[in-house]
Amino acid sequence: MKVLATYSIKGGVGKTTSAVNLAHEASRAGARVLVWDLDPQGAATYLFRVKPKVKGGAARMVGAKGELAAHIRATDVAAVHLVPADLSLRHLDLHLDDTKRPTERLASLLATVARHYDVALLDCPPSISLASESVFGAADALLVPVIPATLSSRALNQISRFLDGLPSPPDVLPYFSMVDRRKRLHRELTVSLAAEWPGFLTTIIANASAIERMGPKRSSVATVAPKGPAARAFHDLWSEVAVRLWA
Amino acid sequence: MFANRDLGAADVRALLARAGFDVRVQRPSRRTLLDTFDGRLHAARLRLELRDDDLRELILSEGGSPPAHVAVEAEPTFAADLPPGPFGGRLSSVIGVRALLPIVTVTAQRSVAVRRDAQGKNEVAVVVDDQIGVDGARLDCPTWVVSLDELEGYAKAAQRATRLLVSFGLSECGADILGMAAVAKGVDLHGYDGSPTVPLERGESAGAGFRRVLANLANDIDANWVGSVGDIDPEFLHDLRVAVRRTRSVLAEGKGVFPAAERVPFQSEFAWLGRATGGARDLDVHVIGWDAAVRPLGPSARLLLEPVRDHISGLRRIEHANLAAVLRSDRYRDLIDGWRTWLAAGDASSESDRPLGGVVADRFATNQRRLVGKGRKIGPGSPPEDLHALRKETKKLRYLLECFGGVFASKPRRAFLGRLKSLQDNLGEHQDTEVHAAQLLAVCEDLPLSDQTAAATLLAVGRLTEHLDRRRQAARDAFARRFADYDSKQTRRNCDDLLRSVSGS
Repeated sequence: MKVLATYSIKGGVGKTTSAVNLAHEASRAGARVLVWDLDPQGAATYLFRVKPKVKGGAARMVGAKGELAAHIRATDVAAVHLVPADLSLRHLDLHLDDTKRPTERLASLLATVARHYDVALLDCPPSISLASESVFGAADALLVPVIPATLSSRALNQISRFLDGLPSPPDVLPYFSMVDRRKRLHRELTVSLAAEWPGFLTTIIANASAIERMGPKRSSVATVAPKGPAARAFHDLWSEVAVRLWA
Repeated sequence: MFANRDLGAADVRALLARAGFDVRVQRPSRRTLLDTFDGRLHAARLRLELRDDDLRELILSEGGSPPAHVAVEAEPTFAADLPPGPFGGRLSSVIGVRALLPIVTVTAQRSVAVRRDAQGKNEVAVVVDDQIGVDGARLDCPTWVVSLDELEGYAKAAQRATRLLVSFGLSECGADILGMAAVAKGVDLHGYDGSPTVPLERGESAGAGFRRVLANLANDIDANWVGSVGDIDPEFLHDLRVAVRRTRSVLAEGKGVFPAAERVPFQSEFAWLGRATGGARDLDVHVIGWDAAVRPLGPSARLLLEPVRDHISGLRRIEHANLAAVLRSDRYRDLIDGWRTWLAAGDASSESDRPLGGVVADRFATNQRRLVGKGRKIGPGSPPEDLHALRKETKKLRYLLECFGGVFASKPRRAFLGRLKSLQDNLGEHQDTEVHAAQLLAVCEDLPLSDQTAAATLLAVGRLTEHLDRRRQAARDAFARRFADYDSKQTRRNCDDLLRSVSGS
């Protein structure tokens, strides 16, 4: 099982949108996918129409006696399962800290279900914390959505510097998200940032009404507008990620 | 699955709608169970289904995991036909180069009824299959079935739905529709069992035991004939040739058990069959191992070698046409018909009445002695032919242990086969890389190349043969250690255990 995490220190950059759509695309490409919603806001849980309830709270899921399998729910997308989130995840750091090896805890929980899935997609809250370190310990790659803005390069640098200090850091796969091609700054920065970071994925996720309609429809763009440019973009993004993972 | 003879599928759909299910319109559905000839997916507890409903997709299921789906344009034959990714990877790791064959096809008018929770999410799905047909013929009983799709994390909803179906008067009738169809069609989902081991008694007459082993191998030859002639996948020819080699080997061990006048002509004809099918198999090996062989040379060399690959594929097609002609020839038919007749006849030889266990034990001890003797004579300066001869000895011993496995105790036999296989792997790598390199150079002699590509391609061939030579040398260097591991106290003890297990009858 390959473990991916949609991650960024910044909020509102399209992490959950990416997690939900990439999960859908991965499943269409034949993968068995487990999405783990680690964000107490539970946006991924909402989009998958799963009840936002972690039985016994986050402590019973990630604590010393916790387990993952009991929390897994099927979604309406074939081959996509979800570990839902609720507000108890706001104390995730504390519960992890109560375990013996907090930075390895998420990896050890995922290992118990690894044989049933090809891909685990962790949808992370926007922060850099003990939970983030545990995500870094579990993930093969971080998918980092980047809005082309002046501070984005700085945020990427922060992640990169932090990961450099880890013994076996995950790969960092940044990609442009929420791009508005009408804006000159967006057009310029997509070029200059990609030049500065050679690892940038080439697919660009542009702003699209289909993405905005995901909320009210509680579905992925592949369901809302299957033939639209947004669905094609996420399809391409997954294809690029898959090549990095399995080529 | 559930059914009830007194109700119709339309009644069940109406009852489900009344119970609050969202019942979708009936649509024609076609589901085909796919597996290899030898049931590799079934053995690995995997189920591969080609489903033609709204879209054509493959569904790979494994207990406890969500079924994986992938849309396909056409029915795939090989795992390599699927796009790269985990689906094809999982399939490939189980079926290897074997072709996927349709095992059974179910057609039906299918409607799905779902119940949703307060979030608007499906919590349970009930599938009604009506007007069921199996491989084109309508099923008389049951004509429709209801299946429950329990979703992970929604066990209570599934329990409620089960109670509801029972309250409709439905009763359980089997696990799933494809399994039911396989039973109706009389299909064994285990696939063809090509094991050379047959039930044997140590005390039975050697003649009877040998004939039973040979009859089993004759079944293998017959079973793999269609797939070899039709070039369905390379394993058919491989298995046919293995059955032929085993037959020759068992016939050779049958010296004294069967009269030479009867045995030797068959040995000679099976040797002809082995030779006549060898060319196609050699080229199969080239094609199967091509990617692994050229991968270490890098992508640019791989591209330069494409004309060689194409040429080998062309030669392979010609050799397979020749192979089909051999397997359809009068000589082949006469051999097999004569062989079957002879197998059914009685025994008439000095050793044929001896107990089988004693004869097999003698052969085993002699073969092992000869193998060790030949191996000990091999030194750093020995020619490659000596290693090839030793490889033949390991094969003879292995065939004896596999074909007459029934007379040995299974634990020491498995242990001994493991030791033997380790030595065989080394000798196989040594010979295969040598033959592979020599054949590659021979193939290149009549390679159609343009002036622009010729030099670069031939240089890439040179790199490939160099790489094969390094592998051959590495196997040669590892031989002494590998043989010493085999020619050890543990092996001798293992041998004693095996022989004791035969004489202990």
